[in-house]
Amino acid sequence: MYPRPFHYHRAGSLPEAATMLSQLGDDAKLLAGGQSLIPLMKLRFANPSHLVDLNFVPGTSYINEQNGAVRFGALTRHSEIENSSIGVRFPILHDCAAGIADVQIRNRGTIGGSLAEADPSGDWAAVLLTQKTEIWCLSPRRERSVPLTDFITDAYTTVLEHDELVREISVEVPGKGTGGAYLAFKRSAPVYPTASAAVQITMEGDICKDAHLVLGCVGLVPVRATAAADALRDRRIDDKSVAAAMDAVREAVDPQADMRGSAEYKRTLAAALVKRAIEVAVRRARGERVEVSHIYA
Amino acid sequence: MSGNGQKWVGKAVPRKEEERLLRGLGKFADDIKLHETLYLRFVRSPYAHAKIANISTAEAEKIPGVVCTLTGAEIASQTQPFIEIAPDAGGKIRDYPLAVSKVRYQGEPVAAVVAMSAAIADDGAEAVQVDYEALDPVVDAEQALTDASILHEDAGTNKVWNGVFEYGDVEKAFREAASVVEIDRMHFHRFSSTPLENNVVIGQWDPKDERIYYWCNNSFPSFAIQFLAAHLNVHIDRIRVQTFDIGGSFGIKITSYPQMAVCALASKKAGGRPIKWVETRSEHMTSSAHGNERTFRDTRVALDENGVITALTSRHIDDCGAYPRYEPLGCVIWSQVFPGVYRFKNARIDFSQAVTNKCPVGPNRGYSRMQHLWFLERVVDICAHELGIPADEMRLRNYIRPQEFPYTTPNGCVYDSGNYPKMLDLAKGLIGWDAWKKKQAEARKQGRMVGIGIGTTLDSGTNNFGQSQIVNPGAPFSGNSQGANCKLDIYGEVVVAVGSCPQGQGHETTAAQVVADVLNITPDLVTVRTGFDTERNVHTGFSGTYASQFAVSGLSAVHGAAQKLKAEMIRLGAHVLESKPEDLDFGIGGQGPEIRSKSNGKSINYWGLANIVNVNSAVLPPELYEVTLNCRYIWRAPFKVPDIKKKYGNLTMTYASQLHIAVVEVDRDTLIPKILDYVAIDDCGTVINPPIVEGQVYGATAHGIGAALLENCVYDEVGNMLTSTFSDYIPITAMNMPNVKYGHIETPSPHSYSGAKGMGEGGAAPIHTISAALQDALFDKGVFIQDSFNNADSLFRALHGEIGQTAKLVKVERRVGSKA
Repeated sequence: MYPRPFHYHRAGSLPEAATMLSQLGDDAKLLAGGQSLIPLMKLRFANPSHLVDLNFVPGTSYINEQNGAVRFGALTRHSEIENSSIGVRFPILHDCAAGIADVQIRNRGTIGGSLAEADPSGDWAAVLLTQKTEIWCLSPRRERSVPLTDFITDAYTTVLEHDELVREISVEVPGKGTGGAYLAFKRSAPVYPTASAAVQITMEGDICKDAHLVLGCVGLVPVRATAAADALRDRRIDDKSVAAAMDAVREAVDPQADMRGSAEYKRTLAAALVKRAIEVAVRRARGERVEVSHIYA
Repeated sequence: MSGNGQKWVGKAVPRKEEERLLRGLGKFADDIKLHETLYLRFVRSPYAHAKIANISTAEAEKIPGVVCTLTGAEIASQTQPFIEIAPDAGGKIRDYPLAVSKVRYQGEPVAAVVAMSAAIADDGAEAVQVDYEALDPVVDAEQALTDASILHEDAGTNKVWNGVFEYGDVEKAFREAASVVEIDRMHFHRFSSTPLENNVVIGQWDPKDERIYYWCNNSFPSFAIQFLAAHLNVHIDRIRVQTFDIGGSFGIKITSYPQMAVCALASKKAGGRPIKWVETRSEHMTSSAHGNERTFRDTRVALDENGVITALTSRHIDDCGAYPRYEPLGCVIWSQVFPGVYRFKNARIDFSQAVTNKCPVGPNRGYSRMQHLWFLERVVDICAHELGIPADEMRLRNYIRPQEFPYTTPNGCVYDSGNYPKMLDLAKGLIGWDAWKKKQAEARKQGRMVGIGIGTTLDSGTNNFGQSQIVNPGAPFSGNSQGANCKLDIYGEVVVAVGSCPQGQGHETTAAQVVADVLNITPDLVTVRTGFDTERNVHTGFSGTYASQFAVSGLSAVHGAAQKLKAEMIRLGAHVLESKPEDLDFGIGGQGPEIRSKSNGKSINYWGLANIVNVNSAVLPPELYEVTLNCRYIWRAPFKVPDIKKKYGNLTMTYASQLHIAVVEVDRDTLIPKILDYVAIDDCGTVINPPIVEGQVYGATAHGIGAALLENCVYDEVGNMLTSTFSDYIPITAMNMPNVKYGHIETPSPHSYSGAKGMGEGGAAPIHTISAALQDALFDKGVFIQDSFNNADSLFRALHGEIGQTAKLVKVERRVGSKA
């Protein structure tokens, strides 16, 4: 289990890293937490000639709140988010961060790396698509922000150009009366979830005023179940509306059969996870403290 | 004087090896660094079944740092094929450690590259070009038996072995049955063990003395060297094997001898330099060894009017993967537990084994018995459901009764002791059986799927190797033995050496407890040398650590050696202390362990005794010259060769038993099976060290729960292994484990000196138990749990009518007079 020989470059700043990418060409890869890249290189499934290491760039790991948005440095580790106080007020972030893989991986893996990798089974994209999320990107030519809704274009594919990298992720803090929840089913800590469901719901009394539902691992990109959201919006959250949302989820997802389960089972599981996530999100919207995270077999 | 008659066997003595292992100070095979070591990497087949058209190693050999390569053709020209245990056609299989003209499973090694570093060896392996011509793969054992596509042309058939095991009067029992239950097909899945430490071999064919040296983690070296010697054309006594700390084996490391062979041959080619091969996890998953897969067809069960099973017939097909290797021993080993824990006397089982284009199997914790026990547990369980007999009641009616021990099974095995009803009682108490029954009834009213399952199993330990003659009358094996040496070293240290190679079973501790009791000292005064070494002179042809036997074979040998030493110490002590032997006391005095005379108060410590024998021998009278204080003892199991024709005889010395109960809920929405409560009761006779036993129970329980719900070696229809990483093969972790309630009873074995029984495999009790719990949860949905592996996805498909339909798979014939 040794990768093919490669050149190692240590970037001193993000602009320098972008310049290195630009100079080294297509055969260069960024190394952030290495959560996906290192196992792929070890198995020789990925064989980049150059690695540009971001881990020694100062000031890339932070969580701060400004103007109603939480901003994450691209190299903020999952464990830093898991252990940060932001999870108390913004629990869907904690649901996600605390459940990714295992402790060792959470200590290495980064939020920016996860989004840029755009793995169909990744956790962060599904969660953040239920929020107003902007990705700040940087290349030798420009800096720009891209809404997350436009950022991921296909499996393992984003709008990032070859020499462009993620600098920061900015997520608007949801207002009062809203609640979110993220649930994923995985068979053991280090494996990808079989399916995951992220839900953000705004309640006014017993009526759902707004809803965002996103399913992970059941399509080439996270599936935004807009019909399912419509089934809840301006309605009471009850067995009937939840059942309608679940039906819409079964319709919306496009899972592939693999060792994690058959396509039909994954449809059922995605719907079941949505049902539970709605329940938790509604309770949180009402101000209850509820702890959830990934579900294990 | 301390050491005042206190007994250590049975005490919770902390493990002597704990400090070393928990602090990361253990010494494992990969920790051995030898001068001028080279590193080996295998080139492996991506095909399950293909002809090798051409192998080109030229590009690899050009890489700087690559020292040499090795191919199957090169090996075949200078070696014999490995010994086959099978007779007849199966015995004609030609198994070499690298594929010669064709590959027979994905991951089979076809070439090896030897280099200055492991990374260069990887680069070299990637540069080897192999051209394949694909052949039809066979991945199902029943299909393999049709011989439509043959794996081994030399054998001419895929059938490795077939035999009928018939006892009693089956036809009469079926004629008189009150009801007959028929089950079309059941299947025990393929899974494996995932030891923390993969296989590691360092091999050296030393030109200086023409001997072969191994530093490795093989768990049954005395078996491995028999295969290696014949294969390499080397006298067996010229092979030295040493093992060190081993990070788990579970039996899977028994069959690492092909890789050991390649390392020796590569060393020879590389001029005698040591060759190190460290297996990767992916290699371990695809090509070390898996457990046996087994299909059960056309099962018929005769029951009397009370639901007591009177007869059983069935056809079993075992899948041993591409090469038999340790097989077909598994074709008889299951019959150690022929009736399981049940009393039926009449049975006929037609047993076959086939090769398929999958990874070869190797003994895997619960080896061959667990497949059969699972089959019996499913039979008993589905009969109870079909006949409407409560699960606990069904077991009680069919269990062998406590007063029937020692119990002779229909095939002549002698179950030493046991008390299954008492275990059931204890388990029901610990789990709160009645309370759960109530909760289950309430849950069912709400439409929830909650099941309660019982699994009762056996862990047979200390084999009679004479059973190998049932599979091959020419096999030169019978009985069982183990060696140990106990001595006062040159300066009086008590040193024990054993021919076992522990992988976490705590042999250092339990051996020290036994010796401490014999000499009336404390276990910390006993140094135990474990780890196999052919030059330590304490091994027999059966030495190693496998098949739940150390407590019996290993500790009997240690006990024998310690008693021999004690007898010598008494002879010497009586002379030195001018006392009668019966006046001597053993214990610990002011200057360490000593012998003291009750008649005159004189004493001599162990240093003094050793000193006389080793450096002050002129004081010895000639009649004591034979005293060496260095005593080797070979323990032999009192077995007879079984009756090969009738397949009858005692096959195992001890029968530890397990009774587990699980409460499992299948979530209505997600179909995820969740264990709500779990109890594990163990009976391994007299317990030598309670925490070690308890640890083994937890370990075996975790492995079994993993096997039941998470761990499955899956191949697609063309033989691609789909579970070669831990993303797809899911070894159980703490996150998946329920809280296990542990309890035990002790029925001392009359067959071992201490009353202990071998244990550690645990009979794969959770697999049977969880299958039974799922059956209970889903019986009223028309689902029959026909597979030993169940997860959310398979339960979803069963509940949607795709698999496991009782109506299709199970038939019940109720005859007049049947009360059930």
